[in-house]
Amino acid sequence: MTLKRGSEVLLGVGSSHGVAIAPAVVLSGSRRAVRRQHVAETAVEEERERFDVAVRDVQQDLQATLSSVVPGRPEAAILEAYLLMAGDELFAQEVSLQIENERRCADWAVAEVTAKFVAKLERVDDAYMRERSHDIDFVGQRLLRALRGGSSMSDELNVTEPSIVIAHDLSPADTAAMTRAPIVAFVTEVGSRTSHTSIMARALEIPAVVGVKNALDRIGTGDMVIVDGLRGQVIVDPSPLEIAEAEQRGGRYAAMMNKLGQGRDRPARTQDGTLVRLQANIELALEAELAVEHGAEGIGLYRTEYLYVDRAAPPSEEEQYQSFRKVLGEIGDRPVTLRTFDIGGDKFVSTFPMPKELNPMLGLRAVRLALSERALFFEHLRAMARASGQGDVQVMIPMVASLDELHAVRELLEEARLSVKAEGQVVADVIPLGVMIEVPAAAVMADMYAREADFLSIGTNDLVQYALAIDRTNQALAHLASPFDPGVLRLVHGVIRAGLEHDCPVSLCGEMASDPMGALLLLGFGLRSMSMESVAIPEIKEAISRVNMTELKTLAGEALACRTASEVNDLLFEALGDRLRDLLTGEPLSTPGGPPPSSDAPPGLSSD
Amino acid sequence: MSENANGSRAEGQFSVVNAKGMHARAATQLVKLASTFECKIMLSGPEEEAVSAKSVMGVLLLCGAKGAIIQVVADGERAREAVDAIGRLIADGFGEGR
Repeated sequence: MTLKRGSEVLLGVGSSHGVAIAPAVVLSGSRRAVRRQHVAETAVEEERERFDVAVRDVQQDLQATLSSVVPGRPEAAILEAYLLMAGDELFAQEVSLQIENERRCADWAVAEVTAKFVAKLERVDDAYMRERSHDIDFVGQRLLRALRGGSSMSDELNVTEPSIVIAHDLSPADTAAMTRAPIVAFVTEVGSRTSHTSIMARALEIPAVVGVKNALDRIGTGDMVIVDGLRGQVIVDPSPLEIAEAEQRGGRYAAMMNKLGQGRDRPARTQDGTLVRLQANIELALEAELAVEHGAEGIGLYRTEYLYVDRAAPPSEEEQYQSFRKVLGEIGDRPVTLRTFDIGGDKFVSTFPMPKELNPMLGLRAVRLALSERALFFEHLRAMARASGQGDVQVMIPMVASLDELHAVRELLEEARLSVKAEGQVVADVIPLGVMIEVPAAAVMADMYAREADFLSIGTNDLVQYALAIDRTNQALAHLASPFDPGVLRLVHGVIRAGLEHDCPVSLCGEMASDPMGALLLLGFGLRSMSMESVAIPEIKEAISRVNMTELKTLAGEALACRTASEVNDLLFEALGDRLRDLLTGEPLSTPGGPPPSSDAPPGLSSD
Repeated sequence: MSENANGSRAEGQFSVVNAKGMHARAATQLVKLASTFECKIMLSGPEEEAVSAKSVMGVLLLCGAKGAIIQVVADGERAREAVDAIGRLIADGFGEGR
């Protein structure tokens, strides 16, 4: 850098622990970051040429995808439409006019024309026609990518040095492409602890700070950046002193995590001998290996919707089956819970062009979408049925709000199982079918579900959002969305009790389980199985080993008698804070400057 | 319906009957069909702005929802044939029923 300026500290939410120091790569992938530049008259021809090349690239890309699709399948027709749209004469004419008359670069012209066409369709008073705007938008985005000199995200992220990604927001498609690049940290302008970026960062074991306002204005590609996920801060152009300090902090954290990881093969057990099953949540098949490394006793939640991400057509049954098989191969004889796709809401996927909804979280998503797209859903279930012949597979339904949905899926799953069996393939005789309890109505009706479902799994992220009527992506409300709210705790407690009463296994797969305080409180409620991101397993196992069940039961009773989330927080912090301080802050138990805890020291202190 | 003396111009009006209207797949079919004819074919719909039947974006932008009346005007070789063929496609609901 030639211009010397002082370092600058930006604050956000540290949503994945650790410290990273590396140059920044600013992603221009979002539509607000489209290059908008006026061009000289002499460059008009050049810009037209760039557009023509982009069109040919996109056509080639689509043609390649199309040739891998069986003719006559629904996605083939959609791909054909995209192909025609990419080379459309009207679109090209309008782009050409923008370049010539307005002297705009090709990127700007494409973005403008796309927006104009989309706006026109969105004005039409017909839901089906409004949906078409997604098709045009999809093609427009593809052209923009091609104009940036690569037809996919992975090309844009063509970095060879360790780098820190700075973006407005990262979609599941973006992060999926990143798993192949040497990315050492994420910084985004929006997001919360439970948003996709945060979950992926924790899965990839790299630090992340989200909700950093104006990050794109403050940080340029090539700037040196420190991302401190422990403190939730980002330092731009740090001084040598700041770098040295960050390296130390990162080193201490890595050493602690390393020590926790050594307990991988020991079971999660309280001091008085209660065993707890800790499983992993995964989004991509490649994370199964990470889960095993962290000592997961199976996969408690496989978010299969990520198979549908960043593609023009849904994955084939065979492709899905191969992904499931890969996970089963990694996980050995441990159980794997496949959750049927939870698409809609915040996880928009281009293979399902969805109508705009005023409240997508309350709209056509998850099992509702599945039951309205029966052919696709049936293929999905067939892939799962085939997987059931290859390992310990169970199937879980997201967002169930009515027992009718459980009945409908059970019928379809059995049909899928029989159709696979009829082809002479190996299938399990029984595929356990469970439901996620994340809609408050289902939590209230937990006893009924416990009678009929093979298992229940509490999804606290959505349960908190729906029970407290707080949009989980709204940062202004993030501090109110606590799983420790007594209203939420009563629902969760009721579900755990219903499971115990009716002998129906209950697990929990929300963020609450990866918070040491949350996990211990849940044990006190009677929960004995939890699923979380792999990286949290060693920490939670350690937390469990420092307490005994008797005190947790008492604590759980007291928590249920609290009036507010902050009372519950205070109660838990009072009772457990000192013993869990290192796990909660990511800093060693010793005071700064003091000696590090000996590695042979007994875990934690005695309870009194 | 009218046709001028030398037979190079033809037109017709057809109403969209299928529930999903002229969506992407339907528009694709229409564009492919129109492209098999040499003549110039223009469509106009509720918004009354004429677009080429050989542009899928144009056809989509016609906003041909169910119940919309689509005016087809062809000019050139086999114009009558083109209008009739496109008319049949629209009237048949693009092969997907009502």
